[in-house]
Amino acid sequence: MLVLTRRAGESVMIGDDVVVTVLETRGDVVRIGINAPRSVQVHREEVYQELQTVNREAASPDEAAVRAVTEMLRPAGVEPPGD
Amino acid sequence: MTTRTASRPIGATVTDTELNMPIIDMAVPMPGFPAHRQFVLVRLNENGLLYAFTSVDDPNLRFLVAPPEPFFPDYAPEIENDVFAALNTKDPDRLLVMVVITAGVQETTANLLAPIIVDRDSRRAMQVVLTGSDMPVRAVMRQAY
Repeated sequence: MLVLTRRAGESVMIGDDVVVTVLETRGDVVRIGINAPRSVQVHREEVYQELQTVNREAASPDEAAVRAVTEMLRPAGVEPPGD
Repeated sequence: MTTRTASRPIGATVTDTELNMPIIDMAVPMPGFPAHRQFVLVRLNENGLLYAFTSVDDPNLRFLVAPPEPFFPDYAPEIENDVFAALNTKDPDRLLVMVVITAGVQETTANLLAPIIVDRDSRRAMQVVLTGSDMPVRAVMRQAY
């Protein structure tokens, strides 16, 4: 990890297109501003990790799972056989 | 704007109507799936309640998605201008909102924090994270009717 020290108002460039600016520091909280092209997504790291995890869980469900969802969408009043 | 269509990949099994379907280009790939840039929306339910967002590069990769309205009637995600820019959106009313479903035999949930937004005209899409909202990534779904 590259470690730099910045004061409020100072910035860091990542590549040619991303600028990270320390806006203010207050106690143990740092406000950060990010300027990036719209093709670059910027997220809090823990949010991004969770999103990746949920997407992976959701990807390519097996047949039993797909069946469960299709069953859920069946209109009420249609009794499944054997119930 | 011409609509390009997907041809059936050799060796893939066609289980639903997926021929002659317009290709959706991802403005930003889905988190966790950076290699998949093109998808098609395959309808799985005759009432339009369920679709398979299927990768063109690898049709084995698909996400079950649904329009949120029948399941979460109060769900009204605010879409920011930067999304319109990424999707080349001319008319925000032409945006389609779909939520990704995590299907399970025990429980089925929907990701309300990061819906997939599709522009019907530009055929571009992205998964938009509703930063700052407390939307759940796993909202339990109920039967629509």
